[in-house]
Amino acid sequence: MQGLLKMSGLIDGMNERIGRATIWLILIVVIISAGNAVSRFALNISSNAMLEVQWYMFSAVFMFCSGYVLNKNEHIRIDVVTGRFSARTQNWIDVFGILVFLMPMALLLAYLSWPVFTNAWNSGEISQNPGGLVRWPVRLVMPIGFALLILQGISELIKRVAFLTGAGPNSLDKEAGPSAEQELAEAIKKHQVAPQVVSYVEANHEMVDQPKQGDRK
Amino acid sequence: MTEFLIANMAPIIFGSLVFFLLLGFPVAFALAANGIVFGFIGIELGLFQPTFFQALPERIFGGIMMNDTLLAIPFFTFMGLILERSGMAEDLLETIGQLFGPIRGGLAYAVILVGAMLAATTGVVAASVISMGLISLPIMLRYGYDRRVASGVIAASGTLAQIIPPSLVLIIIADQLGKSVGDMYKGAFVPGFVLTGLYLGYVLCVSVFFAKAAPALPPEARVFREPSGRTGGISLLLLSIVSVGAAMFWAQTQAADKPTDELIVVAMCIGMAVAFGLASINRITRLALLSKMAERVTFVLIPPLALIFLVLGTIFIGVATPTEGGAMGASGALLMALSRKRLSWSLLKQAMDSTAKLTTFVVFILVGARVFSLTFYGVDGHKWVEHLLTDLPGGQTGFLIVVNALIFFLAFFLDFFELCFIVVPLLGPVADKLGIDLIWFGILLAINMQTSFMHPPFGFALFYLRSVAPTSAYKDHHTGQLTEPVTTGQIYWGAIPFVVIQVIMVGLVIAFPQLVGHDPQLTDAEMNEQGQAVDIQKMLQDDSDADKSREDADKDGAKPGADAAEKDDGDALTKAIRDAAKEK
Repeated sequence: MQGLLKMSGLIDGMNERIGRATIWLILIVVIISAGNAVSRFALNISSNAMLEVQWYMFSAVFMFCSGYVLNKNEHIRIDVVTGRFSARTQNWIDVFGILVFLMPMALLLAYLSWPVFTNAWNSGEISQNPGGLVRWPVRLVMPIGFALLILQGISELIKRVAFLTGAGPNSLDKEAGPSAEQELAEAIKKHQVAPQVVSYVEANHEMVDQPKQGDRK
Repeated sequence: MTEFLIANMAPIIFGSLVFFLLLGFPVAFALAANGIVFGFIGIELGLFQPTFFQALPERIFGGIMMNDTLLAIPFFTFMGLILERSGMAEDLLETIGQLFGPIRGGLAYAVILVGAMLAATTGVVAASVISMGLISLPIMLRYGYDRRVASGVIAASGTLAQIIPPSLVLIIIADQLGKSVGDMYKGAFVPGFVLTGLYLGYVLCVSVFFAKAAPALPPEARVFREPSGRTGGISLLLLSIVSVGAAMFWAQTQAADKPTDELIVVAMCIGMAVAFGLASINRITRLALLSKMAERVTFVLIPPLALIFLVLGTIFIGVATPTEGGAMGASGALLMALSRKRLSWSLLKQAMDSTAKLTTFVVFILVGARVFSLTFYGVDGHKWVEHLLTDLPGGQTGFLIVVNALIFFLAFFLDFFELCFIVVPLLGPVADKLGIDLIWFGILLAINMQTSFMHPPFGFALFYLRSVAPTSAYKDHHTGQLTEPVTTGQIYWGAIPFVVIQVIMVGLVIAFPQLVGHDPQLTDAEMNEQGQAVDIQKMLQDDSDADKSREDADKDGAKPGADAAEKDDGDALTKAIRDAAKEK
């Protein structure tokens, strides 16, 4: 079990690093897209390559982050019913879900999207638009994304089983630091708010029972 | 047994979907698994070809990865996350609170108006509720507002972000219904204002009938005063008149054939520029021609208004697509945060991280939904749903009532992402069959889904407010009085009037479809155009034909460059819907 947990730790670390690197694409694509709009309006220049690179990057963001988001347990769940179950039951449901829901889907899509990539690679598929980009990089994004998801699924499975056999902590319960909302509240308080608010908000963090879905929106 | 399975595939798939989702495993994977499990069963039963799943990569590639509309989701999210930390909300609340404070219920009006402005810029419910809960709630409690009124107003104003453009819900609904985001935004504008008006009307009623529940600020709490003790309101009024006058004058001089929306947007822009210019001159030359209040209001109001113009104005007059508008808004937000010295590396990283996570989980629900819908449409599930809903008594009205009641009920348990991706695509084609305008229908659903944030006890706005409202008695540092906490019950009760207002608004949009600027009943010609989008069977056929031709081409070793255009649009469903929308 310890060996498996070590492997799980390695996968988590890898997906975390990939996720943290991928987020920069957001800033880059914002700048590219704004630049496209401005140059088209002001200079009357538009480039199909620059338009296409936007959705190449968009695809890369959500595909490369898929494992990272799974690791952080940020995929939306409907937990109105199961939120009341015990930690063991929730972990059992996750074991079932990873084996029956996540794995078949990720394996099937990775398997089906690979030939689409090799096809694009071999044929040198290129965009129909004048000045468009070559297609294989974005075709490659899909199999890579689902492969990352499969790896993270294995890691999550190890962690759930470790908890059920008593070899590890409950990873569904981990506090991943303050949520985005808590950080926002901290920032507002720091700049603006009266001292008494600071004290009662801190007290609230212990008192308010925070549902898991709480930081979704 | 097999016979029974084949005959009832659609209801069985739907039933197991509900069960899978309630298990609490991430929605994206539960949806996809449902499609895959029943896809294999379908292949076993001989309902589908063994190559059935071959269409999946193209469905994801063409429908999601190449989809420009969806790109607006990270842009607007990023913009909102940067703005919520730029200090804009705090300044707005403080200034508008001072402006309206002296009248009865003034703080509540200020919260609603600032909520609407934040909705038009940040569009993030959590951020609005947290800012208002931290800044306005303590002041409202200090001056004796009823706790239910105060918390209800704050929670409800935060949810305006759902309906006032640029909202994520409208982007997703537009994508799901195959309509343009720009049209959706235009349609949502007036209902958003009317809804804000209804909230203001509620506060007016409270302040008239229960004066104690929403008192005015006492004189000592009004800080922006002239040395002479005057409020400076007259000066502000004059400045507004001058700016509005300048805008009207410019509008008069323009040619009559200019499109109205462009005229309005540019005229507003000029008015704002005049006010900003005058206030700047006043500050630089220290002439003190304007009162403190007028100057402060101008400097606080203009930047967010300029940002709203940059985003919505350019979309409305057609200079930018919604996606580009989002990118420009995000750049504008970065500049604004930079100019307020609030932008740091950690804030930037945090915003990118949250944006990437939200984009990923939203898009993955969509991936799951597309895997699911391949199977569900494959077994004619859409016809089954259509059958259930078109046979309702009362035709169109019956359909609308049932659908709205259903969404209202589901909103207690599901949040809007799930509603948008699972329920909307099922309802869209039926509404279409009944000749309902899909823009109008989408906005109706968006207003209804807004209640999912306010329903006690699961509403998110209520939850966010709870996390920043006092849970135990505290000493107010201004007055030194011991202030009672806000109980969870008070937050729930405060939300109920607003849930009722929401239902009234749904009724209003049904009764007065002009609010959206669209006629709910399409003409026959329009129906024909829109009708092209519905023939899903044919599209699946096209899908498999395209696959086949591609395979043939591969076999011949020919370069598939010739039909690459079709390949890119491999998702025939998306393509046909887009085409139909374009023709309109």
